Amino acid sequence: MTYEFTKEDLDRIESIKKEYPEVKATTLQVLWVAQDRFGHVDADVQRLVAATLELPEAHVHGVASFYTQYYKQKMGKHVLDVCTCLSCQLCGGYDILNHLEKKLGIKAGETTKDGMFSLQQVECLGACGYAPMLQVTNGEFVNHLTEEKVDHLLDKLRNGEDPEHEMMEMPLRKQKENP
Amino acid sequence: MTMSEVFIDGKRYEFEGQPQLLQFILDLGLEVPFFCYHPSMTAPANCRQCMVKVGSPVKDRETGEYELDDEGNRVIRWFPKLQTSCNTVIADGMVVQTQESDELVQRAQKDTLEFILANHPLDCPICDQAGECPLQIQTYKYGPEGSRFEVKKVHKPKHVQLGPRVTLDAERCINCTRCVRFTDEISKSHQLTIVERGDKNYPVTAPGRSFDDPYSLNTVDICPVGALTSTDFRFKARVWEMNQTPSIDITNGKGCNIDLWTRDNLVLRITPRFHPEVNDYWMPDAGREAYQLFNENRVSHPAQKLESEQVSASWNHALETLAEQLEQTDRKDVLFIGSPHASVEENFALMQLANLTGAKTPVFTPHVEEGSGDGFLLSDDQAPNAEGCRLLGLEEVSPKQMQTKVSEARLIVALNDNLFGRGVLDATHAKNAFWVVFASNHTETTQMADLLIPITTAAEHAASYVNVDSRIQRTFPAKETKYSNRRLSMEMSEGRLDRFGTSFDNWVTEDHKIDCVPFWDFATQAGERLGLNLHLIDGRQIMDQIATMNPAFEGVSYVTMDEQGGIVLAKESMAKSK
Repeated sequence: MTYEFTKEDLDRIESIKKEYPEVKATTLQVLWVAQDRFGHVDADVQRLVAATLELPEAHVHGVASFYTQYYKQKMGKHVLDVCTCLSCQLCGGYDILNHLEKKLGIKAGETTKDGMFSLQQVECLGACGYAPMLQVTNGEFVNHLTEEKVDHLLDKLRNGEDPEHEMMEMPLRKQKENP
Repeated sequence: MTMSEVFIDGKRYEFEGQPQLLQFILDLGLEVPFFCYHPSMTAPANCRQCMVKVGSPVKDRETGEYELDDEGNRVIRWFPKLQTSCNTVIADGMVVQTQESDELVQRAQKDTLEFILANHPLDCPICDQAGECPLQIQTYKYGPEGSRFEVKKVHKPKHVQLGPRVTLDAERCINCTRCVRFTDEISKSHQLTIVERGDKNYPVTAPGRSFDDPYSLNTVDICPVGALTSTDFRFKARVWEMNQTPSIDITNGKGCNIDLWTRDNLVLRITPRFHPEVNDYWMPDAGREAYQLFNENRVSHPAQKLESEQVSASWNHALETLAEQLEQTDRKDVLFIGSPHASVEENFALMQLANLTGAKTPVFTPHVEEGSGDGFLLSDDQAPNAEGCRLLGLEEVSPKQMQTKVSEARLIVALNDNLFGRGVLDATHAKNAFWVVFASNHTETTQMADLLIPITTAAEHAASYVNVDSRIQRTFPAKETKYSNRRLSMEMSEGRLDRFGTSFDNWVTEDHKIDCVPFWDFATQAGERLGLNLHLIDGRQIMDQIATMNPAFEGVSYVTMDEQGGIVLAKESMAKSK
């Protein structure tokens, strides 16, 4: 499949180029532009990025494959990254994952048939204090998960609403404020 | 001003400029283990194996004098951590301790190796690199006795066909990035990258792309483990069973310095040999395929054409036929054809034979394919010795002129050059003459021969070639013929099997010796038969003759060539003599 950047994307890439001393350094940013546009950076998109920036294809491929946040294949509209690393695991991360698998009818690493959700099992996202948690499409964290909360999240996403931003307090700060 | 000084393991050395510490140590003939460093490429210091302890002397800021301790020794301020010597620039007064004198360095190198080996499969018994593997050697020298990693090793792709000539075993890779840097900095094809991260990473091409770089096999040479292997040579032979002979690439005009690896008189692989002014550490992939020229499709035993079919003939018969033909043909109708594909010595022998029989000076047609060169190690000139033919004074003719000359001749004596195969001649030009062809391999040209005489290749004789930059370099005999003997020939190197092998061993047979002689041998015999004053013994003696007779080759001998890595011949001296 062939992909093409829109005029708007190319303008954005030009302005990114101005921020860096050399083109090679813009690879990360331009991969994001591509992922925003196409929803993923598969082999063809990587080629497009390389051609646009006049960089070796191998270099762009190396960068894209280094970061898990770049999707190297077509993904669902919403990607649910469920943490099953230590803290989340202890607080029921696997229960959440299993619940999602059952609810969506797919296994971790798969995408629903309607192309709405992709489910991934991931390592620590640095939110151990609010375990178990998941991340929606490289964006919002959804914390202190319960099965009800997950169901609510899925409904919201299906209705085209964004997950709401949860303000998390630092536990230590609370202690200081109330001596 | 005094020279800058550096103390390595307690010994004082002087230096100039800003040398890198690892290269400086290696240049002294000392050793620090390393994997990712390569003298012709940048040093990313990512293998972490070349750790050393480095310190600077403390200077009094006011007087500029070195501070001394109670015993009168300089006070050394050690760097807080061990340094990778490959990218440390030496400074005046620097004190360095390597694994030879420091236990911490020893420990660091040992532990680094333990990490490098954590996911290395240790399949040395079936690995092609075994025997010439830096990882294997350095593990023996500096590595740990065992490993504390008892968990399952990470699995990665195996036998990945990266390109037409290179196969990857990602599990063996230690991610030194030498191959990636080679394609970025040397061949500039930028075809390789490291993908994934952490313990899952390995080098590969972009998706759907083939590693078809014309220099791709150099990555196999510089790979410090068995991760990148030659698809062609894979599983063919163990390195310690082969014999290594220095030689020259004869597949194009650049004259890359190479090594021929032989076993049982077969050339099994060709690798580049370092020459700073010709090819550095590299050679094109095309040159490596020349091993087939040395082994396969060889002309073995003379043949004569009887009623359009070539039948085997004895050496005496061949000699007698050539002599008779030379005697009975009018001198004006004899055409000697030299060859840019043959050595200086062979062309000289042909010239001598032509001169002494009273024929015209031999002609030759250069083998140039415009646009096939790349300005690096591939030249437009497809022959190794066109310049040598010119300097010897052979008459250079265009393909057109060659066609006319061939059509007019009654007897043609042609040296190893596939004139029919490379489009200079076709069958219509060859009708009138009796063709005597000296050749090493069967080609379109040998099919035309009325008398076919097998001669040695660059792998079987010592002979010299003048490259496109007028540098004369020479080969060494690597393979025995039916008439040469490795033990008796003082010029041939012997591998383990060559020296100790018996017919009860694997890989020791008589099968691969070709029934051929050096061209000058046959020319001398022909000279004797014809009563000519022609004495050509071997390449060494012929070169001495050429040096006294031809001003372009003045001062050239095998000894000086060997000492100086080839000699650049001045084109001017030739012009003067003309």
